[in-house]
Amino acid sequence: MTITKILTLILTGTLGTFGFTLLFRMRKRLILWAVLSGCLTMGVYVLCVHYSVQLFFQNLFPALFATAFAEVLARLTKAPTTPYIVCAVIPLVPGSALFYTMYHFIIGEMEQFHEMLMQTLSVSAGLAVGILCVSAVMQIVTKKPKGSQKTK
Amino acid sequence: MTESKADTHQVLCMAMDIGKSMIRCGAEANRVEETVTRICSAYGGINTEVFSIVSMILATATGKDGTSDTQTRRIHGYSTDFDRLDKLNALSRRICKETPPPEEVLAELAQIKSDRRHLLWYVGIGYFVVGFAFTLFFGGSFQDAAVSAAIALLLWLLTSFVRVQGLSKLFFTALSSAALGFLAVFFEKIGLADNAAMVMIGDIMLLIPGLLLVNSLREMLCGDLISGLLRLLECIILALAIACGFAVPILIFK
Repeated sequence: MTITKILTLILTGTLGTFGFTLLFRMRKRLILWAVLSGCLTMGVYVLCVHYSVQLFFQNLFPALFATAFAEVLARLTKAPTTPYIVCAVIPLVPGSALFYTMYHFIIGEMEQFHEMLMQTLSVSAGLAVGILCVSAVMQIVTKKPKGSQKTK
Repeated sequence: MTESKADTHQVLCMAMDIGKSMIRCGAEANRVEETVTRICSAYGGINTEVFSIVSMILATATGKDGTSDTQTRRIHGYSTDFDRLDKLNALSRRICKETPPPEEVLAELAQIKSDRRHLLWYVGIGYFVVGFAFTLFFGGSFQDAAVSAAIALLLWLLTSFVRVQGLSKLFFTALSSAALGFLAVFFEKIGLADNAAMVMIGDIMLLIPGLLLVNSLREMLCGDLISGLLRLLECIILALAIACGFAVPILIFK
């Protein structure tokens, strides 16, 4: 990857995260943190792409990082975790893969259709597994069984 | 102090209203269950059983005197509003600490529900920035990004000012995807955008249910399988609706 490409990815990805913090109406003082986490997550993603890790892991690692960082931020800023995760991870959501899946299907290029479909699915799976892993670990660590009273 | 039937009823009513508002802002099911339970027990309820999914809350509260009350709330549709969710969380924490009279809480709840105008601009800027950023992110040119941002603004106007009653979220998503697609192709034809596909991809990101997916995963992990699966299903169906919507202009113009 060229430097321009790397910079474009990180800058526009971060800008996208910023856009979503506004879209989801996050509070002003949380936006900066969310954008920071989005930026770092893009950094992890770019690293994974640079070392050409397999597509599934290319999305798994950033998702792992974003979720872990979100858990930290949530505790630091005393805010819920989910908004941080969503805003950081959103540039990785396979919007373009979904588009091309549909595109090739319509055009009738079945080979590319299958390829893009598998790409959409493995990217989604990577993100899902990444988020689930960290969330599961956090659940074990914080030991908050369902239905119990939350500490303030 | 003994609590009358009306008290249990009032408290549960208040707790459920808060719960409903929380779901409407995009809260997870277990968070809502927790909030309703905590509010009821703060007012001296000895037992509260709550069940919540994305489209309904069902709760039975039993007061100190043994009277019990059951209520349901049906929830039609929800959006994402973390700011309001935050205020609701703060309100419910305050309720648990101070247990103010329910009338006061309801007034405050109404106030939280009503103040949204000043945040509308935020959302508009959000749409603009997202449309612009993701077109570049996926490899579009600056011209594509500008067009995409303009279309995103149109979508924002459509979603926030044109409330078509009775139109399901699914149908709305498909229709707006088709409209976005047509606009993108139109701008490419008149030479403003270089590549209609890039414009479409940038705008797709606005419609993609990212929060839904994350919420669904976390709910399933917490054991709220029904709620999680409902959301996951909605997610998949919305993705299909987006694909179908964008398929129309592509089918016509290719």
